[in-house]
Amino acid sequence: MTQLPLSIHLSESATFANFVVGENALVVAALQQACRREAQERFIYLWGGPGDGRSHLLQAACHEVARHQEGRGSLYLPLSEAAQLAPEMLEGMEQMGLVAIDDVEAIAGDSRWEEALFHLYNRMRDEGGGALIVSASSPLSSSPLRLPDLKSRLAWGLVFQLRGLDDSGKLKALQQGAQGRGLDLPDEVGGYLLRHYRRDLADLLALLERLDQVSLAAQRRLTIPFVKEVIDAD
Amino acid sequence: MSLWQKCLEQLENQLNAQQFNTWIRPLQAVEEEGALRLLAPNRFVLDWVSEKFRGDIEKILTHIEGAAAPQIKFEIGSVKRATVPEPETSPQPAKAEKAKKGDSNAAGGVFRRRNDSKDLNHISNLRDEFTFDTFVEGKSNQIAKAASIQIGENPGVAYNPLFLYGGVGLGKTHLMHAVGNLMLQKSAKSRIVYVHSERFVGDMVKALQHNAMNDFKRYYRSVDALLIDDIQFFAGKDRSQEELFHTFNALIEGHQQIIISCDRYPKEIDGLEERLKSRFGWGLTVAIDPPELETRVAILMSKAQQMNIDLPNEVAFFIAKRIRSNVRELEGALRRVIANSRFMARAITIDFTKEALRDLLALQDKLVTIDNIQKTVAEYYKIRLSDLLSKKRSRSIARPRQIAMALSKELTNHSLPEIGSAFGGRDHTTVLHGCKKIGELRESDSKIDEDYQNLLRTLRT
Repeated sequence: MTQLPLSIHLSESATFANFVVGENALVVAALQQACRREAQERFIYLWGGPGDGRSHLLQAACHEVARHQEGRGSLYLPLSEAAQLAPEMLEGMEQMGLVAIDDVEAIAGDSRWEEALFHLYNRMRDEGGGALIVSASSPLSSSPLRLPDLKSRLAWGLVFQLRGLDDSGKLKALQQGAQGRGLDLPDEVGGYLLRHYRRDLADLLALLERLDQVSLAAQRRLTIPFVKEVIDAD
Repeated sequence: MSLWQKCLEQLENQLNAQQFNTWIRPLQAVEEEGALRLLAPNRFVLDWVSEKFRGDIEKILTHIEGAAAPQIKFEIGSVKRATVPEPETSPQPAKAEKAKKGDSNAAGGVFRRRNDSKDLNHISNLRDEFTFDTFVEGKSNQIAKAASIQIGENPGVAYNPLFLYGGVGLGKTHLMHAVGNLMLQKSAKSRIVYVHSERFVGDMVKALQHNAMNDFKRYYRSVDALLIDDIQFFAGKDRSQEELFHTFNALIEGHQQIIISCDRYPKEIDGLEERLKSRFGWGLTVAIDPPELETRVAILMSKAQQMNIDLPNEVAFFIAKRIRSNVRELEGALRRVIANSRFMARAITIDFTKEALRDLLALQDKLVTIDNIQKTVAEYYKIRLSDLLSKKRSRSIARPRQIAMALSKELTNHSLPEIGSAFGGRDHTTVLHGCKKIGELRESDSKIDEDYQNLLRTLRT
């Protein structure tokens, strides 16, 4: 499997604690409650743009289940990797404390996957007791999923849109990501990135990863001239 | 800390997070004398983990325990059902044991004999909350409801089969359960089985694998009522259709009730044998239509009442007007409103509801582009688009231009250099200056702030 663009996970696993919440306090609260079995609502559909932190939250949820429901398994399933996987891998997953499905659109139109998800939903509702979180890049009203049975079930639970961070939130997320790698990203350097580079957090975090590698190789700290060199070489 | 937990900690450090979350977290471990049994939820995960991670796990175990490291055994199952053995090798007694515990969903399926008698252990799968009392009646579903009640009162006599069809989320499943619950209420000994088509098919496949077709047949043919949901999922499954056909005939002959639900009219189901389609029409075929506004309102009010929530009438109307397609979406919307109200500790009003439903109604769904922002701003200030992009510096042009830049920064992810170049090739510092200026003006000049808010709203909806 290829690595996530949100590669802070390499050195530090994604948790709710290291998620920069911004305007998403309610989403995070709902996810936490579902993972701790504190809420009635255990079916959640989460949509948002790239870099809005869906993958982070889904993996944080797995982490949370491991912490709060000892011995209960969880599954993080990025469907962008579906080509290497098979719908059969959803069998028996209703036993999990949490099933977190990322990028559900990746299997839109594939009736085997869509039906397998639909059946998993039903089994989880009927017997599992675990939480099901599905992430997507579009709201259900314009989702490319074809199976109406699946769509209507996803709409049945709580639906949230993740909201992207503003510049100060992005700076914070970048600095946290840097910290997780043992890098120091001073405010002015972070600010420079936001002014000169793409402001999509996924892109920014990918840039951070590259900066990490290059700075390690060149034995240099993150300064504006150094960062500029890397961006210009882009 | 258990050995497996120690092992997990090291695996989490070694593997990338995604691999760990996808393949390792679903595993459960049972530690035994000299062995560590790792339970995977299915064959796919088992094979994958065993192929790609067995070596890593063994190394870690040896590292921790040295020569005393346990042997790893991979199995399909989970701790609660801990010892569900592989279907192929499963001895009968284990299955009977599980059935006694009331575990309805063990790998072997539901049809199995009780250990101590020749009776079949019918499992109804009925949900208590789906009754006629909680079913909100309206024009769209009143015939279906009336027919269902009659069947619940006189199963096997009135209409057989009852074929309910309609779109998703309109209450077909609710009605089926309600009939089953009514029958149980009238006679607690009724053998009622509600089953989703997928389950029927799955059970049959397992029965074939285990050479247990006779049990399967006896199980499904000895019910007082068989309720099969979403029959369209039989499409293309010939062997299952064949079995369904025989089950159907046996039940009808025995005056045992059949209720079938489907997302469409029998004749329109592709991939289903003609003889089945025609039999489905032998009894009563009833459509359930999407609920009209008043029914949607009533559904919301009833649901809110069940959840002990005080839902103002006008809010119910507000939601019902916007969510039109089906009851599930309606309930989803209500859930979301309630979640917001609990989280923010605020009463449910129309304004509050509007805010809460933003994510569902996807008012921000529209992708905002710089082009779009420029056009909208030009229109708003009644200036020409070409002026907005020109070098002109008169305030009547420059101010809208700065507003458009600030909006571009707020609503898109373009870099400042990109925004600058989209505004007639300006430098990113010009953009930055413009954004700062607008920020200040919005504090000091309420007219500017109002303009900005109006534009924001227009662009987002």
